[in-house]
Amino acid sequence: MNIKKYIFILLLCCTGSVWGQSFTASVSKSQVATGEVFEVQFTLNASGGSYTQPSFGGLQVVGGPNESTSMESVNGSMSQSVSIGYDLVASKEGTYTIGSATVVSNGKTLSTRPITVKVIKGSPQQQQQQGGQGQQAGPDNSIGAAASGDMAKNVFIRAVVDKKNVYLGEQITVTYRLYTRVGLVGNSFDKAPDLNGFWSQDIKAAQQNTPWKTEMYQGQRYNAADIKQTILFPQRDGNLIIDPLTMSFVARKAMPARDIMEQMFGGRYEDVKVKASSPPVTIHVKPLPEAGKPAGFTGAVGVFKVAASVDKKELKANEALNYQLKITGSGNIKLLKDANINPPADFEKYDPKITDTITETERGVSGSRLLTYLLIPRHQGNYTIEPVPFSYFNPATGRYVSLATPAFAIKVNKGVDAGGNVTSLSPADQRDIKMLSKDIRYIKTSGPDVYKNGEMFFGSAGYYLLLLLGPLAFAGAFAYRRYNEQQNSDVVKVKNRRAAKLAAKHMANAQHELQAGNTKAFYEAVSRGLYGYLSDKLNIPAADLNQENIAAELKNRSVDDALIQKLLNTLNLCEMARFAPVSGVSQQDVFNGAKSTINDIETHV
Amino acid sequence: MMKRITYLLLLLALPLISLANSETDALFAKANNQYSKAKYKDAVQTYQSILSNGYQSAAVYFNLGNAYYKLGDIPSALLYYEKAHKLNPGDDDINFNIQLTTLKTTDKIDAAPDLFLTKWWQAFVLCCSVTTLGWLSVLFFIAGFGVLIVYLFAATVSLKRGTFYTSMALLFLGLLSILMAANQVHYFTSHQQAIVFSNSVTVKSEPEKAAKTLFVIHEGTKVDVLENTNGWLRVKLLNGNDGWILPADVKEI
Repeated sequence: MNIKKYIFILLLCCTGSVWGQSFTASVSKSQVATGEVFEVQFTLNASGGSYTQPSFGGLQVVGGPNESTSMESVNGSMSQSVSIGYDLVASKEGTYTIGSATVVSNGKTLSTRPITVKVIKGSPQQQQQQGGQGQQAGPDNSIGAAASGDMAKNVFIRAVVDKKNVYLGEQITVTYRLYTRVGLVGNSFDKAPDLNGFWSQDIKAAQQNTPWKTEMYQGQRYNAADIKQTILFPQRDGNLIIDPLTMSFVARKAMPARDIMEQMFGGRYEDVKVKASSPPVTIHVKPLPEAGKPAGFTGAVGVFKVAASVDKKELKANEALNYQLKITGSGNIKLLKDANINPPADFEKYDPKITDTITETERGVSGSRLLTYLLIPRHQGNYTIEPVPFSYFNPATGRYVSLATPAFAIKVNKGVDAGGNVTSLSPADQRDIKMLSKDIRYIKTSGPDVYKNGEMFFGSAGYYLLLLLGPLAFAGAFAYRRYNEQQNSDVVKVKNRRAAKLAAKHMANAQHELQAGNTKAFYEAVSRGLYGYLSDKLNIPAADLNQENIAAELKNRSVDDALIQKLLNTLNLCEMARFAPVSGVSQQDVFNGAKSTINDIETHV
Repeated sequence: MMKRITYLLLLLALPLISLANSETDALFAKANNQYSKAKYKDAVQTYQSILSNGYQSAAVYFNLGNAYYKLGDIPSALLYYEKAHKLNPGDDDINFNIQLTTLKTTDKIDAAPDLFLTKWWQAFVLCCSVTTLGWLSVLFFIAGFGVLIVYLFAATVSLKRGTFYTSMALLFLGLLSILMAANQVHYFTSHQQAIVFSNSVTVKSEPEKAAKTLFVIHEGTKVDVLENTNGWLRVKLLNGNDGWILPADVKEI
C-alpha cells in the first residue's frame, strides 16, 4: 500500500514535471505511534507564491516549515521544485487528517489532497545507545519503572501554569516540569516553545542543576524537576495556546538479569531514546475592561507605585534640572512606555535615561524602573512641572488605579546669556556679528510734533474745511465768470452802463482843456462827451444822432421838457462855440451845466 | 478776494500748528538733556509725563523707545518705537531702530513673503505720516483749483490748455494723497498689533487653559491681534502662525 502510494506520487510528480506544474503532499509514514515525530511534505515542481499552510487536524507541529528548493537540468530543459516540510507529532491515538495546502503557480491555484494519518498507541523506537549528553542530578532511585513497556507514561513533560484565566497583560508563570519514573542518562532540547502572542521572560534558575523532588501525580510517585520557568505576558486577547516543549531523553531501562553475575552487579540495563513533549495549554485572555479606563492609560497591568523628585527647585536659566520618575511594583514593568511628563513648554526636554532594577521570580516580575529626565529651562520665570498621571490595571481587583506625582514649582532666575539667545539664533547667524557694530539711532532733538490724543489733523473739521476751500473758490470764480458773461452779452445794456463812464472821461478831458485855456478844444470835448453819452445811453446809432432824435428818445423815456430844453441849449451852445466865440456864458458854467445835465439824465433814465 | 482766502486759511491752520505749547517743549528739551547725560531712567519719566498729559508725538515715542533700549528693556523700547512708527511710518530713524531692536529679541521670525505689489503699495502708503499727507492733499487741492480758476479766465488757447492739464494733475495728486492717508489710517486701525511682555508665553490652540500648546513666544515679539474673545486674544505671528494668548502677556501698540 505504502510503496504503491509512493510510486503513485512519484509518477504524479514525474507527469507533473513533464506536463505542467503539480503540487503534492506526502507523509513519511502513514501510520505512526503517539509521541513519534513524522514528516509531512508539500512539493511543487514549479515556482509559486501565496502558499497557504494546511490545517493539521490536531497534530502538533514540532518542526518546520522547512523549505527546500532543487533545480535540475535534463537535456537542456530546466525543472525546479520547491518543497515545504513539517515535523509533526500526535499526542493521542486516533485518525488524523492533514488538510489541503494551496499555492498559486503561474496564475493557477493548486491544492493538495488531504492525507489521513493513523496514530496508534506509542511504542517508542528502541535504540541501543549508551551514555548521554548530560547527567541528571540525583534522582530518587527508589522510583523504579513499574511497567517497562509504556515509556510515555514513565517519562513526560507537563506545562504547569499558575492561572488560566487572565487579563490582557497580566503575568502568568508557566513551569515545564519533567516527570520520570526511570533513570535518565541524557537529554536534549528538541524544540523550545514559540509562545506566539506572549511576551516572555525566562526565570533564571538559582542553581545550575535542577533539583529533583518527589511528586505524586495521578496516584503515582515520580521524580520531578522544573526544566524551565517562564513568565508570560499575553499581548492579545482571546484563547492563546502555550506551545509544547519537546525534549529527547535517553532512558535507562532495567532488563531482567540474564545470569547471576548480572544480578549481583545491579542488573542489566538498556538505554532507550524517548521523545517527550508537553501538551499544549490554552490560556483564556480577557481584554481589559473599557469601563473606567483612565485617559492616560498606557497598558500597565499589575500593582505599581509611582514617585517623582527633582534635584533642585531654583536654578538659573540654561542650567540642567533632573526630574526623576520612579515606578515600583510588579507586573509588565518592562513593557511600560515612557511616562508622559509634560514640563513647561519652554523647557527643553531630553529623552529619559532608563534604569531598571527588575527581578524575575516564580511570583512574577517585580522591581522598579527609574526614568531620569534632563530638563533645561531656557528663560527666567516661575514655572510649574505639572503632575504626571500614571494609571494601571490591577488584575486582582479588576479595577483601574490612577496615581499622580506631586507638582513641582520651579523658579528660574536669569541665567548667564552665553552670546545671545541659545535657542533661537544659531551661532552661524550673520546677524549676530552685525549687531556688535551697530547701535540705535540717536534721539530726535527737534521740537516734538505733539498733538492731543484724538486730535489728528487728517479727518478733523478743519481739514475738511481747508479741503473745501479749493472747490469753493472755484465755484465762486465760475459763478463770477458766468455773471460777467451774462452782463456782457447785451450790447445795449453794456453801452448804457458804459455811457456815464465815457461821458465822465470826456468831461475830464474837457476840464483839462478848460484849465489849459483851450476854448475850442474845450467845447469840442464837451460836445463829444454829451453826444457820445446820449448815443450810448439812448441807443441811437451815430448816423441818426441829431437833436430831434435825441429829444424824441428822451421824451419817450419821460424826461421832463425843462431838462430836454436845457440839454438842447447846451448842445447848441457847444456847436456854436466851436465856430464862433460866445459871450455871456462862461466856459465854467457850460462845463457845470453839461455835467449836471448828464447827472440828471442818469438819475432819470 | 485772494487775500481773504489766505487769511481764512491761516486762521484755520494756526491752531493746528501751534498746539504744542511751551510747557511740552520744555519737558521735551529737559528729557532730551537727561538722555544725553545718560540718565535714562529720568528721561523715561520725563517723556512719560508728556504722554500722560494726553499728548502723542512720534518724536516723544521714538526718544522714549531709545531710553528704554538703553535701559535694556527691549519690549518697552519696541512698543514705543512701534507707536512712533504708527504716527510717522516713513521715518527712517524709527524704522532702523525697530529693525535693530528686533534683532535683540529671542524669537527669530521670518515674515511670510508678500506679493511685491503689496509690498510696494504698503511702502508707498506708509511713506509719510497721515498729517503730512493731509496737508499735502489740502495744498494740492487749493493749488489745483487755483490753476483751474486761472483756466476759467485765460484768454489764449495755449494758456487755457496748459492750466487745464496742470490743474488736473494737481487735483489727481490731491486725491491720491487723500487716498493714501485714508489707506494708512485703515492700515493701522485694521492692523492692531501688540508686543509680548512676558518672558515666555505659551500660545494655545483654543481660548482655554487646558488647550494644546501650539508654540512658545518670548518677550519682544510683535504679534498681530486678530480678535478678542472671552478674555483671550487671538494673535498671529508675522510668519503666519496663530493661536490664543492671555491679554496680560502683551501690550497693544
